[in-house]
Amino acid sequence: MTYQEFKEAVVRIALEKQISDYELYYTESTGTSVEIFKEEIKSYQTENNMGICFRCVVEGKAGYASTENLTEEEAGFLVERALENAKSIESEEQCFLYKKGDEYAECGENKTSAPTGAELADTAMKIQKAMYKADARVVDGTQTGVGYEVKKYAIFNSNGLDLEDQVQYASCFATALASDGKEMYNSGKSKVGNLQDFDLNKFAEDVVEDAVATIGAESVDSGKYAVVLSNQVMATLLAAYGGVFSAEDAQKGLSLLQGKEGEQIAADFITITDDPLYEGSVMKRTFDGEGVATYRKNVVEHGKLVTLLHNLKTAAAAGVKSTGNASKASYSSVVGVSPFIFYLRPMEGTKEELFALAEEGIYVTDISGLHAGANPITGDFSLLSQGFLIQQGKKAAPVKNFTMSGNFFTLLKEIEKVGEDLEFLNGKVGAPSVLVRDIAVAGK
Amino acid sequence: MLAKELVKEALRRALATGADYAEVFAEHTQNKIFDLISTRTDTIKDAVISGVGIRIFKGTRCVSGSASSLAPEAILDCASRVADGLNESAVITDIVLRERLFGDRHPIKIVPSDVPNADKIDYIREMCLAAKEYHEEISQVTGTFLEVDHKILIANSEGLFAQDRQIRSRLMVAAVASKDGENQTGSVRPGARKGMELLEDFDPKELGRKAARQAVTMLHAGYIKAGTMPVAIENGFGGVIFHEACGHSLEAGSVAVGRSQFVGKLGTMIANEKVTAIDDGTIPNAWGSINIDDEGTPARKNVLIENGVLKTYMIDKLNGRRMGMKSTGSARRQSYEFNPTSRMTNTYIAAGQDRNEDIIASIEYGLYAKEMGGGSVNPATGQFNFAVEEGYVIRNGKICEPVRGASLIGKGSEVIMNIDMVGQDVARGQGMCGSYSGSIPTDVGQPLIRVASITVGGR
Repeated sequence: MTYQEFKEAVVRIALEKQISDYELYYTESTGTSVEIFKEEIKSYQTENNMGICFRCVVEGKAGYASTENLTEEEAGFLVERALENAKSIESEEQCFLYKKGDEYAECGENKTSAPTGAELADTAMKIQKAMYKADARVVDGTQTGVGYEVKKYAIFNSNGLDLEDQVQYASCFATALASDGKEMYNSGKSKVGNLQDFDLNKFAEDVVEDAVATIGAESVDSGKYAVVLSNQVMATLLAAYGGVFSAEDAQKGLSLLQGKEGEQIAADFITITDDPLYEGSVMKRTFDGEGVATYRKNVVEHGKLVTLLHNLKTAAAAGVKSTGNASKASYSSVVGVSPFIFYLRPMEGTKEELFALAEEGIYVTDISGLHAGANPITGDFSLLSQGFLIQQGKKAAPVKNFTMSGNFFTLLKEIEKVGEDLEFLNGKVGAPSVLVRDIAVAGK
Repeated sequence: MLAKELVKEALRRALATGADYAEVFAEHTQNKIFDLISTRTDTIKDAVISGVGIRIFKGTRCVSGSASSLAPEAILDCASRVADGLNESAVITDIVLRERLFGDRHPIKIVPSDVPNADKIDYIREMCLAAKEYHEEISQVTGTFLEVDHKILIANSEGLFAQDRQIRSRLMVAAVASKDGENQTGSVRPGARKGMELLEDFDPKELGRKAARQAVTMLHAGYIKAGTMPVAIENGFGGVIFHEACGHSLEAGSVAVGRSQFVGKLGTMIANEKVTAIDDGTIPNAWGSINIDDEGTPARKNVLIENGVLKTYMIDKLNGRRMGMKSTGSARRQSYEFNPTSRMTNTYIAAGQDRNEDIIASIEYGLYAKEMGGGSVNPATGQFNFAVEEGYVIRNGKICEPVRGASLIGKGSEVIMNIDMVGQDVARGQGMCGSYSGSIPTDVGQPLIRVASITVGGR
């Protein structure tokens, strides 16, 4: 059964069961990826996946059911499950479906053609060869991969909404393994965008440089330090704490930003923006998980919390308009709230200027363990880190095996300077490097 | 799930371009997650996942493909698409599929989908209510019940045709305690390869109170001073230390490509002689248990480390080819969309001889880590971390005041040498482990242990 046939079956069954408010959310992804190891193809993978979520709203309560099995029998089962689930919902907030009427940005303006499997393999091979060439200490275990994916999103509902959107992008990753004969050191980098825009040699050299620069790294003495967080580290933190800007978490009492709209929550030069239509991004999305047109908005402006992010339900509960941030982590997810393309706005100043301002401290270039070591409800974080000492205002010896601890909400207020080097992680969350003082470090 | 003839034709098509091995993995899964906020049902996620993942090998090269459908044309199309990844002539043309029955070590009493929503919701509500009523500082409570009914079929060009049905259930309750614009959290997350009978193993009120007690305790706790010190790590989820510090680095996916701190260490002393560590996929009804792995190899009890000596890695078929070693029944994948690789099942440090009171008494100043959160590791360097959710300072051999969440970090190969006291009371805790082949259920476990020295990421 095709999606179109399945959709018609669901519509018919919904009518029979006298369900007047319902929605079908559909995603489809096709992709190819290649991994290279020891300059040979290690794996070649293709996917052709899709899924459908049926949501009905009965007396203001939303019932969900999803499937990947497109048969007539499943269509009936899908509607029945959603209906039963809707009847079990007890929350007081009212759910409703969106109506047509928004003006949407143009979708799928990325007109590049899909690369062939051979082109992907060739690209991954080129990156790997360049990595081995970049430094003699690069050893086997170094891996590269390149992929290409097309994702389609569609929403159809009983209010007449019928939308489609598409993103398509290439991605590449490289993990460099370096050895000084005694220990192993590694680093990883990934990138999304258009294949022809990737500077493969620079990508390879950067990831190798990151790995070899850590050779000989030791721990640091425990204490309080001035810390420069690299753009990637700051973006990683912002991604981990993205949920605190969700009105859903706030209304549920799970975000400390609850009721803080209009208040100063960050240093007065901090601006944080969500721009689903970010110019030049391959991750642009024209409508959100409920079909509301997306748009650019400042969440934090000059340190003040301008707005939390909303979907239809949270907006209705707060008496405001949706910010077009209804999200579905996958087609089968219930509707939540999250930013699309979320970033801390860059200012002026290079990394080197931040080092100079810090004088003595640590430049943190890598953090890990965020799923357990960064708690969005409390804001506390305690994270395994590595990077470089900053001595006399300059980047100095590599350091590793220490933790950096603090609280995200405090950090936002105490950022002393924001740099200019905005970079995005996987095209979705971005930040420049920042300088912050008095960060607790545990090492030796 | 699929007719043998159809599977055979898919294997034949996949082998047409010169592969020396082909495998079809088909799945039909029903997942349901009930979430309560405060004491009301907020959302129910209800998903059917069905599709096929096909792999072929040529030496150590793997070509794979997946499709979200169990329709014959989609499966055959996927097989042809996979075959397109090679371009030689067929070397295997004749396949005889023989059905194998491996039995079921994990009997299920009540299949969750047979039970109405309301019964599950009532149980979660009891957990939430008990947490809410525990203390006036409890500002929010969330409760969850998760059920998974995962049916799999695995067939390969060696003639295997096997099926399994994995039913799992899990309860979660999380409490937030708030005061003066500050939040702290506590949670409890038991699960098992069981049906609704899981609920009978616990008193819902006790689960709720436990989560709430932890949140309130942490709200009134200070921070431990950062530094390196001895740490006593409690049993149950405390086993996350072995999982991160050592377990991942013993998975063939890292070892076979030289990205592990333990490459070439078989038969050598890699841990303290007090450490014996086991990965056992056969424990009846345990959260991480399986009957067969996702390549169709029967589950095993693998002694990874015996008295400090490395005995085996955890190995799947593909990485086994690279290593010249046989599968240990360790291949796992989240779903048909992921390629399987070697993963853990139920991994634990076996009981030792030390008494709990002696372990605590041996520490002059250090940390008692009572409840742990998740962690992560870089297997190539061995750098790992995991979070302490509830900790206490130990002073002069006594457990003193509570201290807030801090991460413990270190290098795996050094830290497992530092496990110098091992208690007697092994318990296991449940987690979801994320790695190359997706998110899978695993148990971690251990008795109370002492790590002589480890970095504690306090403030």
